[in-house]
Amino acid sequence: MTRTLIAALLVITIPAAGQQTTDGWDSDAGPLAVAIPPAGRLVAITNATIMTASHGTINNGTIIIRDGKITAVGPNLTVPQGAEIIDGTGRYVTPGIIDAHSHSMAEGINEGTLSSTAMVRIEDVLIQDRTSIYRQLAGGVTTLNILHGSANAIGGQNAVVKLRWGLPVDSMLFEGAPPGIKFALGENVRRTNNPPRAGQDRRYPFTRMGVEQFIRERFTRAQEYRAAWQAYDAARSNLRRGEAQPIPPRRDLELDALVEVLEGKRLVHAHSYRSDEIYMLLKVAKDFGFRIASLQHVLEGYKVADEIAAAGTGASTFADSWAYKLEAWDAIPFNAALMADRGVRVSINSDSDERARRLYQEAAKAIKYGGASEEEALKMITLNAAWQLGIDDRVGSIDVGKDADLAIFNGHPFSPAARVEMTLIDGRTFFDRQTAPTLDRLMREIEQSKQAVPDSEEGSR
Amino acid sequence: MASRLLRLGLLPLLLVATLRPVVVQAQGETWALTNARIETVTRGVIEGGTILVRDGLIVAVGTQVSIPASAVVLDLGGKTISPGLIDLTSTLGIPPRPAPQPGQGGGQGASDGAMQAARMFADELEASGETLRRSREAGVTAVLVASDRGLFRGLSALVAMRDTLDALAIIKSPVAEHVGYQSGGFSSYPGSLLGVISFQRQAFYDAARYGLVMDRWRSNPRGVSRPEYDSQLEALVPVVRGELPTFVAATKENEIRRAVRLGKEHNLRLTLLGAEEAWRAIDVLPGSGVVVSVDFPRPNQVTGWGFGGAIPSLPIDSTGREEAARKMIERNPATLHDAGIPFALASGGTRASDFVANLKKAIAAGLPREVALAGATVRAAELAGVSSALGSVEVGKIANLIVSSAPFLSDSATISDVFVDGVRYVLPPPPPRRSTANSASGRGRAGSAAGDTANVQFGGAWTIVTNSPQGDSESTLTVTQEGAVFSGTMVSQLGSSAIEGGRIEGTKASWTITLDFGGQSFSLTYAGEVSGTRISGTVTAGEFGSFTFTGEKRP
Repeated sequence: MTRTLIAALLVITIPAAGQQTTDGWDSDAGPLAVAIPPAGRLVAITNATIMTASHGTINNGTIIIRDGKITAVGPNLTVPQGAEIIDGTGRYVTPGIIDAHSHSMAEGINEGTLSSTAMVRIEDVLIQDRTSIYRQLAGGVTTLNILHGSANAIGGQNAVVKLRWGLPVDSMLFEGAPPGIKFALGENVRRTNNPPRAGQDRRYPFTRMGVEQFIRERFTRAQEYRAAWQAYDAARSNLRRGEAQPIPPRRDLELDALVEVLEGKRLVHAHSYRSDEIYMLLKVAKDFGFRIASLQHVLEGYKVADEIAAAGTGASTFADSWAYKLEAWDAIPFNAALMADRGVRVSINSDSDERARRLYQEAAKAIKYGGASEEEALKMITLNAAWQLGIDDRVGSIDVGKDADLAIFNGHPFSPAARVEMTLIDGRTFFDRQTAPTLDRLMREIEQSKQAVPDSEEGSR
Repeated sequence: MASRLLRLGLLPLLLVATLRPVVVQAQGETWALTNARIETVTRGVIEGGTILVRDGLIVAVGTQVSIPASAVVLDLGGKTISPGLIDLTSTLGIPPRPAPQPGQGGGQGASDGAMQAARMFADELEASGETLRRSREAGVTAVLVASDRGLFRGLSALVAMRDTLDALAIIKSPVAEHVGYQSGGFSSYPGSLLGVISFQRQAFYDAARYGLVMDRWRSNPRGVSRPEYDSQLEALVPVVRGELPTFVAATKENEIRRAVRLGKEHNLRLTLLGAEEAWRAIDVLPGSGVVVSVDFPRPNQVTGWGFGGAIPSLPIDSTGREEAARKMIERNPATLHDAGIPFALASGGTRASDFVANLKKAIAAGLPREVALAGATVRAAELAGVSSALGSVEVGKIANLIVSSAPFLSDSATISDVFVDGVRYVLPPPPPRRSTANSASGRGRAGSAAGDTANVQFGGAWTIVTNSPQGDSESTLTVTQEGAVFSGTMVSQLGSSAIEGGRIEGTKASWTITLDFGGQSFSLTYAGEVSGTRISGTVTAGEFGSFTFTGEKRP
């Protein structure tokens, strides 16, 4: 937290060179930064319809936020003195939206050269000034699970971030989020649609049989590797006087990550489509004694929903995206609701910076097609995603003690006309439509600049 | 071998020899440079002073220097003497290597591109007298040479700008292991930035263990099975032990933060090389060496430009923001100075003349001239580990000196003489300023009149075929040539790009374009040989490697 604050201060105090310009641009934050919203505020969101995602909807409710946490939520609350009021009249407040499958804000997604790249880390390649981040904030998104791509069976390590737009990238990492890793099955891994270039060897595995065998082989290696370290630790602790220190085994960053999976310390998020491969992976995990935290895409999940639920595995799917490749042929829009009916904790993800901006509409489709309840649909983009990422003690619902990560809508979030007015993270307003450069505003500026006298001193605002 | 040498007391001598070759041949004459304004950099300014140079070294400095009869006296009539510049970001003299071609992945290809830790640049250097002269005449008297591409790039050498890059030119080797973030090719690990960083992390762990295992075996091989020798890890052992510095090419904010994390994780003696966005990462700089490039990036190339999408009052085509950003970028050295961060200044790989022009930009943006001069001299010497031999005007140091008409790096200063290892090089007087030509700055400085006549005529419209890994792509290059420089556009399916830094040298033409892909911009640099109505050469595409191109002039 201190680091975040220092970083924030640094950004703010960057000298705002050349603020006086003749073309209408001025910014207190300087040309290469955005203003950082203040932290540690005492805020009350009053008279709002609060969709908690955990305990129903509160009409005319109030949320009190202190130092970035929700300290009270309910109807008939007394607003503490000195609190900054956000008038929620006519507005709906939901938990900040969590996208369980994103490839946003990274300078690299696929290290597809090897079939296991468990050593690579998305955290190493994050970048903070992509406009798409701000657009996602404008869609009420507060947390992303940034995943490695699906080019290989065992992909890289994920990064869970909060969209603290404007802060240095280290300060955007979700503190304390359990580490995870991407796995992938099916056509992308087999390189069905990416044949090798001329002169390039075909990469093993290139059948579904091979994919299973490859994953089993890597985990067998990981077990051997763990045993080697255990033997080393034992030898060291049983060292007799005068004996030379044993030489440690070679530290292998790929197998380190897989050992963490074996020990349940690293969550597996597995890209998958077909029911047979889903079933295969659940069985492999069971054989090696770990749990798949979430199946990603999982478009045939409805066929094996009971098995997924029994494995304690979450499912993160698209609302209605299908038939874009052979293995997506059997996808149906009822998938999310059907899996939820069978007890699977389901989230709906974007896998796209564009779709991420309207995940609330994607969730609404689970109601339209599958008859999911409003709260169940809301959970699909909030609490269930948080649960899949192991951060549901911090975010995902509007409950006392949780981070004040909130989206404030102009109306019911599942209405086609809904739009996000304000997005809060840790109680700080990272998006406010009042001050956002909306399309209307940009269009107005263009019109004005057309009408302006060429050498006018007047700004274009 | 080493231990026997040590017993004989020879090893220290050898070490000295590698630091600075024993001077066996005459280093020119004995010079008495009198009546000079001496900017020592480390010991203030001496007005009306004298420097005595003998055997390539400064042997006396002051106002009361007794001049031996054998000395050639050069009365400088109040001109300024400064230490010669040291540029820590040079690729001078590295012979070109073919870039790994896409599709040649696997096996040897992978290690060729990725792991070059044991590469010794001192053993490879070759450069023409002309190249060395150009550096020297701009005031650059020593450069640190290492490749600017690759992950583990090899061991750099600090060389003096003498007439030839022979063994005597090597001031120190190795200076540091150079590390960067560009992968060599597409198809073998590491093939992305993700892999690059993991590859480096693993290599450092491997080197640490390799050192442990090797030490164990070498100290007592009895009963220990012999470990496998690995020349690359061997080179990295002193690096992970903090005995040899690591220079990480880190220009952008996040690269700087990454490099500092890497350095902490492996206890490296870290120096950041480039640091063009250091002002965005001041919080992590203390504890690392910082070499700041003055090859200032364009506003739309720096971190933070993308925030523009969320600045409420931002007009779509704000030149005001661009100007403000440019100022901030050029203020980078000044901002670091104000924050109390020590740093060296370097060219960033540009030509020597542009280095000086850009140093002046940094000064114009608020960096005190004296700090700029120290940054490009003694601070650089410190980071290269040669500050006892180089970098300031002090007795006993190498006589690398600049004589200028006014305080060096001030606007009116022109260089009249440069000394390298005590050898005097007299510069031709500067040509009278033409009213149309701007003073020397920017990448496309016009060549001399003599050079112009030898330059090929490149003007007109060309059809250029770029042989990219994704297939051939055709574009139209329209060129307006003026002497040794040209401007124009390059139009392809990806849109129209303005030519930057178009330059003709003899029959060689080179230019750069910047393409924009979904908010990401990257540069393509074309360099080719013109022969009548045809051109062929290579395109360098940053981390995407390089490929070939051909072209034909349209009738």
